[in-house]
Amino acid sequence: MTDTAESSLAATAAAKPPFYRDATVVKWIVQVVTLIAVILAMIFLVGEAGDNLKAKGINTGFDFLNVNPDFSIGDGIDNAPDTGGRALWVGMVNTIRLSVAGIALATILGVLIGISRLSSNWIVAKVASAFIEYMRNIPLLVHIFLLFFTLGQLGDFGRNVDPVTGELSQGPINGWVHVSNKGLSIPRVHIADGFYQWMIFILAGAIVGRWLMNKRNAVRDATGHETYPVLNFVGVIASFGFIGWFLHPIFGWVGDAIFGPLSRAIPNVPEVALQLILSGLAVMGAALWIKRFLDNRRTPAGLAQLTDDDWFRMIFAGVSAVLASLVFLVIWPGLASWIINSSRDFFEVAADKFGDGRGNWREDWPIDAARPDIEKRGNFANVGPGGLNFSQGFAALFFGVVLYTSAFIAEIVRGGILAVPKGQTEAAQAIGLRRSTMLRRIILPQAFRVSLPPLGNQYLNLTKNTSLAIAVGYSDVVQVGQTIFNQTGRSLEVFMIWMLFYLACSLTISVVVNFFNVRLKIVER
Amino acid sequence: MVMGTERLDEATAELLANVAAEDAKRPDEPSLPFGEWVKKNLFSSIPNAFLTVFFSLLTLFAYRQILNFVFSEERRWEGVRVNLRGLFTFSYPASQYHRIWITLGIVLVLSGMSMGLMKSIGRGFSIKRISMWFYSVGLSLVVGILLREPSVLKDADGLARWSFPDGSPIARSETGLLLIRDDEGVSLLAEGESPLLLRESFGSAMSDRGWWWIIAVFALGIGSALWFGFGDMKRRTTFIPAIPLTFGFLGLFISSVWWYQWGHYGRDDAGILISEPDRLVASTTRIPWTILWFVLVLAYVAGRALVRTERAGLTRVLIGFSALLTPFVTYFVILRDPDLDWAHVWSTDIPMALAFMVGGGLIMWILTNPAIGERGRLIATALMGIAVFNWVAAFFGWYAMLQKARISFLLLALAALAAHNFAGDARQRLRSVWGWMGAMVIVHYLATMINTAETVAAPDQFAGGFVVTIYIAVFTMIFSFPLGVILALGRTSRMPLFRVMSTIYIEVVRGIPFITILFFFAVFVEFFLPEGMDLAALASAGIAFTLFSAAYLAENIRGGLQAVRQGQYEASDALGLTTVQRTGFIILPQALRVSIPPLVGAVIATFKETSLLSIVGLTDFLRVANSNIPGQTEFLGVKREGLLFICLIYWIGSYSMSKYSQRLEKQLGVGER
Repeated sequence: MTDTAESSLAATAAAKPPFYRDATVVKWIVQVVTLIAVILAMIFLVGEAGDNLKAKGINTGFDFLNVNPDFSIGDGIDNAPDTGGRALWVGMVNTIRLSVAGIALATILGVLIGISRLSSNWIVAKVASAFIEYMRNIPLLVHIFLLFFTLGQLGDFGRNVDPVTGELSQGPINGWVHVSNKGLSIPRVHIADGFYQWMIFILAGAIVGRWLMNKRNAVRDATGHETYPVLNFVGVIASFGFIGWFLHPIFGWVGDAIFGPLSRAIPNVPEVALQLILSGLAVMGAALWIKRFLDNRRTPAGLAQLTDDDWFRMIFAGVSAVLASLVFLVIWPGLASWIINSSRDFFEVAADKFGDGRGNWREDWPIDAARPDIEKRGNFANVGPGGLNFSQGFAALFFGVVLYTSAFIAEIVRGGILAVPKGQTEAAQAIGLRRSTMLRRIILPQAFRVSLPPLGNQYLNLTKNTSLAIAVGYSDVVQVGQTIFNQTGRSLEVFMIWMLFYLACSLTISVVVNFFNVRLKIVER
Repeated sequence: MVMGTERLDEATAELLANVAAEDAKRPDEPSLPFGEWVKKNLFSSIPNAFLTVFFSLLTLFAYRQILNFVFSEERRWEGVRVNLRGLFTFSYPASQYHRIWITLGIVLVLSGMSMGLMKSIGRGFSIKRISMWFYSVGLSLVVGILLREPSVLKDADGLARWSFPDGSPIARSETGLLLIRDDEGVSLLAEGESPLLLRESFGSAMSDRGWWWIIAVFALGIGSALWFGFGDMKRRTTFIPAIPLTFGFLGLFISSVWWYQWGHYGRDDAGILISEPDRLVASTTRIPWTILWFVLVLAYVAGRALVRTERAGLTRVLIGFSALLTPFVTYFVILRDPDLDWAHVWSTDIPMALAFMVGGGLIMWILTNPAIGERGRLIATALMGIAVFNWVAAFFGWYAMLQKARISFLLLALAALAAHNFAGDARQRLRSVWGWMGAMVIVHYLATMINTAETVAAPDQFAGGFVVTIYIAVFTMIFSFPLGVILALGRTSRMPLFRVMSTIYIEVVRGIPFITILFFFAVFVEFFLPEGMDLAALASAGIAFTLFSAAYLAENIRGGLQAVRQGQYEASDALGLTTVQRTGFIILPQALRVSIPPLVGAVIATFKETSLLSIVGLTDFLRVANSNIPGQTEFLGVKREGLLFICLIYWIGSYSMSKYSQRLEKQLGVGER
């Protein structure tokens, strides 16, 4: 930042300073020295860790991923994982499940509460603000513990027996909602056979609907008449869905005809080709980036002078691309075969899901629903299509995280609405919009634009907060990882897996939020 | 961050004081008549009326459930009441309690003084508002008395009475067990039936709550007296300052230890811990609290007396410095009590400190001479060479040297490198010298205190409860702040390598959950340390908190840095300021001013995150409530009471901090552009 001043001074003096007084050189010396110091310190610490581990007789390495971990997992897609890697995968799926469901529910709740807090009704506003102040001023962990013990104080599942029918029962709404010391159980909708064939109909409906909507939009823009484009869009999807509900078996051939051949064809792709494609993509990406960067520096008078920082950016991009292709080609050749195998597996699964043999047209609905089913006193039914069961730990964690985050989201929504200039409301009133139209068309879109980036932060926080599962014994990735390092002592490796997993989650959420953020940005001339 | 108001320059402070004075004259909003208010706010339209009815019923239901829970006969609040000592200080040796009282006293003196020294203390609360408070307290008491279910009937032994579903009472055996089986052991209850708890009638419940009625009527009476005693205009324009009012309520609360039987958990004659619910708090608790209240009030009064004098500015600076130093002093001296080897102190420590003070002061005097030019840099570089060589020599063991000396050399070299930024006339140069000497006094004092044996047991063994919460929060705040500033400067810097390093650090730390970092430091950090080095659990947790919090602070400060206009950079370049001068005197002050409210938010977040300490095995506040109290034989399984209590403490802490930050935001005029 000083270079502007210093370089112009140097220019007037018309003499090049000695190298040790040259700001650019000194800066680079300082930076390189610091970088080397940091790298040396890390090498020292890692070496120290290696020596200490060796002295304590603890093995290192990732072999635990392929060894039977000898523990069972209470919740998740696999209760008795046969390898450590599988166990961690179960934990990751649990974390992802919690986060996705949590984000959806917290957003809905948060928006409702945020709007209620601005309500003109005194008691609604007060109740909303009391909720917010209660939730956000107390640590999440305390909330989770409170919920956990409150659930634990409740009665057994299926404690009472109906004297007339002899059925096991447990309220509050028998057969629909059960709350007990084992957690809670609610009805659920689940994917049944034929769902995927039905989705083809929905997809077709979306395409047709989109086309129709564009058409209606054009008509509205041209004539000024209200043509209800969104209603048309939704209507087309709904009618396609309705027809598909009965006709979905006609797509039974998709699995065998498309995905089956694909899954058989993919292993024939040579690994080298994939490696070359990947490294080519990396190099091309870097080249494109550098080109765009230089274009941005180009003024009508020619290319602006490049600073050392600009050079660094371009060199950095180039070097990263070369490193990436090295990784693909030499360092980690297994990546290509892993990609090939996974895509083969993916298409195999797809072929199975889209496969035929669902014969009965009358009974195979795409979607099915089930109510909680009490089979046994004191426990959930673990098998069969029962309701949606939340174990005690899961329920405490899930509702704790959701309620906590929804309080923050409510504040963000309120802030966003308040940030819309008052002139917008007044202008909307002046052109005679109704209150609901004004909210929908004027206020909320602008409020959403302001509140999207902090909302993304809250989604990140929610995802990270699910790691408190360890406090209530729910098997998320941190809890499973902790069990593994207690057994094997592979603490550093587990820590690295945690780090990579959460960084990947954060990156995914950031990318999604950023995508919408860019789309919502005001286009400036 | 507490010093936020102190950092303002005089002109701004004056302006703010004027604004506050204007504010003080502005009356509250006139109040609508009751009927109109209800119509406007609750029943303005039909959907609104439905909402009002629904939410009123919901609120009443929730209120009833809360009351039934809190006042239920099954609740064992004495589990919290007699464990207050454990919750706040855990197993701190009772013989050493005076240290904690003294620490608290220092903190209260400092905060009382700085509150008193504030230029504007706000306009406070109007009589109208205070009267509304009394009304709402009285009304909620009345509603609560009517809503709560009648108490359980008890027999002569104090055991609850039960009945069969048809109403006939269930007898008890001599051992107090309910007799729900006949002589042959056959249950008298049909399948699916459960016994009922006998409760008193509604009328007798109402008459039993006589004291509550009296308090409710009293509150309503005060409310009405305030409301009708003042005319409408006077009610709205008479303000009572917030701080004295708070002190008054605090005093009322503290006075209760003299007249309310809070209960006591002490040792009996045989030395066994017993709980005694129905007696006053021990005098060893009663008297210090009372004294502390007077100390707080006196400090505030002293601050108020000083605020109009010339010394106010100097006192503010002194208090700011002391507030920064207090945690170290209290930790190292009051909580740790070093066992000093006085012969060594006199023969080595003090002479060395003096040598560095004088020698370093001389170097600073020379190097801040504007005429020294290029030679100054050469001297500074040479000093840096010596300092680095000392560390290299230490690594290879060429010669012995006190670590303190190595650190001092390094600090001296850094100060010398930065010295030319402070060049000026004699007065300016003298100020640098004094600054260096002060820094040396503090560094050597702390280094000496840390490096000696201690007389109180190691902190890890007795540090627990709220003390740990506060210590971690305060240390995180103090250490993560400078680190956050450095990271933020690095991330916005034009030096690419610094930018890349800071960005990687910030994004990685922000991307992973705190609990994994805490695990890393609790479990793995021992592997990284060289042979023979050890880190206390509390210290490693503190480091984890600091490193984590710094990444978040850095993002807040970066926001502030980006809010500084480009013109400020250009203007300081035009003045010929160096990078250090521009950053330190022009950019950072403006950036920090903007980022104070989010920084307070970060402090609140850290305060709440301290609850995670209980997961990695430290005995913090939450762990005491969650596992220590339920583990006591008298209070087996009493969990929710303790948890609710710490909810209350956390709530008060976070809520008051967030209110403070809102006020600060208003004062600084952030967001009103």
